[in-house]
Amino acid sequence: MNIPGFKQWFNSLQTRSALGIIILAGVLIEATSAVQYWYASKRLQEEVQQRAESELRIKNLEIQKVMIAVETAINNSAASVEELLSQPDSLYKIARRIVEQNNHIVGVGMLFKANYYPQKGRWYEPYVVQRNDGKIEQAQIGGPNHDYLNANWFKAAIAAERGYWSEPYYDEAGAMMMLSTYSTPIRNSQGETVGLLVADVPLDWLSEVINAQHIYSSSYDVLISRTGQIMVCPVESLVMQNCIEVAKTKFKDTTISNVNSQMMAMKSGKATVTDDQGEKKYIFYAPVGGDAGWSMAVVCSESEIYHGLRQLRFHLLVLMFIGLALLTYILIRTIQGFKRLQEVYAEKERIGCELHIASTIQMGMLPKTCPSTPERDDIDVFGQLTPAKEVGGDLYDYYIRDEKLFFCIGDVSGKGIPASLVMAVTRSLFRTISTHEALPDRIVTAINESMSETIESNMFVTLFVGVLDLPTGHLCYCNAGHNAPLLINENAEFLPVDNNIPIGIMADWKYSNQESLIGLDTTLFLYTDGLTEAERTDHTQFGIERVCEVIKNSDKHQSSKALVNHMSDAVNQFVGEADQSDDMTLLGVKYIKQHRATLFSESITLPNNVQEVPKLNEFVDKACEAVKLDMSTTMKLNLAIEEAVVNVMNYAYPAGTEGTVKIEAVANDVRLKFVITDKGTAFDPTAKKEVDTTLSAEERSIGGLGIHLVRQIMDSINYERVNGMNVLTLRKKL
Amino acid sequence: MKTTFKEENGNFVMYFEGRLDTAAAPNVEQEMKVLYESEGHDIILDCTQLDYISSSGLRLFLSLLKIAKPKGSHVFITGLNDDLRQVFAMTGFINLFEFK
Repeated sequence: MNIPGFKQWFNSLQTRSALGIIILAGVLIEATSAVQYWYASKRLQEEVQQRAESELRIKNLEIQKVMIAVETAINNSAASVEELLSQPDSLYKIARRIVEQNNHIVGVGMLFKANYYPQKGRWYEPYVVQRNDGKIEQAQIGGPNHDYLNANWFKAAIAAERGYWSEPYYDEAGAMMMLSTYSTPIRNSQGETVGLLVADVPLDWLSEVINAQHIYSSSYDVLISRTGQIMVCPVESLVMQNCIEVAKTKFKDTTISNVNSQMMAMKSGKATVTDDQGEKKYIFYAPVGGDAGWSMAVVCSESEIYHGLRQLRFHLLVLMFIGLALLTYILIRTIQGFKRLQEVYAEKERIGCELHIASTIQMGMLPKTCPSTPERDDIDVFGQLTPAKEVGGDLYDYYIRDEKLFFCIGDVSGKGIPASLVMAVTRSLFRTISTHEALPDRIVTAINESMSETIESNMFVTLFVGVLDLPTGHLCYCNAGHNAPLLINENAEFLPVDNNIPIGIMADWKYSNQESLIGLDTTLFLYTDGLTEAERTDHTQFGIERVCEVIKNSDKHQSSKALVNHMSDAVNQFVGEADQSDDMTLLGVKYIKQHRATLFSESITLPNNVQEVPKLNEFVDKACEAVKLDMSTTMKLNLAIEEAVVNVMNYAYPAGTEGTVKIEAVANDVRLKFVITDKGTAFDPTAKKEVDTTLSAEERSIGGLGIHLVRQIMDSINYERVNGMNVLTLRKKL
Repeated sequence: MKTTFKEENGNFVMYFEGRLDTAAAPNVEQEMKVLYESEGHDIILDCTQLDYISSSGLRLFLSLLKIAKPKGSHVFITGLNDDLRQVFAMTGFINLFEFK
């Protein structure tokens, strides 16, 4: 990862807020989980204690049950023994009965104090035992080899003066198991203790009871006697060993020894210890077995207690990390999406800005001043283009060259940018071609040839091109699939149009030319289908009927601008709230000719001989004098007329043929006009390309100067081919 | 239309008098041929008395310039009145000739 990029990424507001959200979410989840864990562990500890105490209680009850049974049997039998004290040999009967009736007692003996029965000697211990095979045997086992009189437990039991449980011991001689004995004093009729009634109680059932059930699978119980002998524990080898010793040798943690001391002191409680494997254990202990003075401990491993909880916590953590990862992913995607959105928005802004510029450029292509002919009093043109989007595919254009109004209106198929580009090309071609071509069919044909090569196959342009000769009102036009314009004078009617195909479809289509004479005070109204197909919200179209209606109901003599505005208002009112669906263009061309008093009107006819030029000079001088032109202007007019006439003499008639040139001079108070007419071959001097006056002597050609001078000197030059004659009109404002 | 040719101070000088229009141009063209052999001389066209010039006249001047220039001769025009100067300006000829 490159570091500046990373820094930039890291420092971006979105990234930092996303990180913030993730960290906050993590902290919240972790805090919740920690609180939960703390409460759960508290509850768990309480539960463990309850369960351990309950186990201690239950097992104590089970032990007590056996012990009380033994105690009851022995205590009750003591009375029978006391009754038969006088018949020592019959005591076996009692012992036998006890052994037979109590399955917890394997042996019963009566141990009398020294020399109680003098005839029996120092020791007398009648003893009945049930062997492992169920046989019951009886014998007197007291003697020097079994000197119970000196045994500590005997002394302690005598001294107890009541029921007494001995320390457990391992009977290696007989039962090969751990035993404990319960003894109760035998008293004579005077109430003196004469011996003990003793029951041998095997403790094998103890381990069954103790090991029967545990609160946890790994927990275990330990039972110790009052002197600290281990009676039951999971490790067999430790049985019968002293717990204190074991604790000292086996465990580093001294708490265990303390617990043992507490247990030996018949206390109950709990403790936490750590074993040598570092595992934490909980110990709950309490005295059991009543008079026997035993104590039991329940040992549980902390790891097992908390196992479920820890597992839960682990799962929660895993879930949390998955959740956070998911959150991170979503945030990153969101940020990326957001950035992408920003980019798209910026891109849209840029495109919008460019579209706006494009719109300005496109609008700039339209004729700027409306009307563009303020200095003209014979023509009134007004156009209006309303694109449906920023840029559109409609076009109109007009300009005056050589006393002719060149105008066009067109509609490119489609809308938006592609259409606008085609529109720009069309308009540019119209301007370029019409500078040296005055016939509309030729202009359209040339545009079509050029466009067909470049335009995309599915695009085309409907175009109407008109050339109105301003001096005569003679209109030439060519319609390439466009809506027929309306001719408005006293009534409105369609200008007849030929069925030519739109531009850009067939490169070799020959477009036809049409002509019409436009009367004075007549308006030609041109439009694109954006007008007739303008839709209301209910999809009703404006239609040509409404267009005609608007024209019929408005002043026939209004200006082009008034007509266009009138139509525009009408369509806007009709459309109402609906979105404009197509570009709309309206163009009005009103032909008005001013009548002015003629101050001078003369003509001269010359043969096509340049030697006649001096006569022409005289004629021009006369005309100039009549309108009181100064010498300098007169000289220049002379030059212009000479050049124009010589041009006709040289080109209209082929060398050697004879013909005439008529020059007519007409002046009113605003202009002086020369009309040069000849019957020669068609020749349009205005269609010649301009000479470049900036070239060097070597590059300059000899020809082309004449018409250049005419253009420089005169205010307008106009050519018309009328009735087989070339008519060239030159005008000079006064 | 009248022209006069003189050799003054080693220069070929031609005086033009009157109207140099299309009708006069063919004659003047013949008369100006004397200026074509201009090696080693500069040419001065004195237009002090020239009243008028058409494009035919201008063509004669341009033809002379095209012939004389490769021969190392300068073509000077003197005495041009304001109106004619405007005609020279309109055609760009004012940039082609040297004026005295």
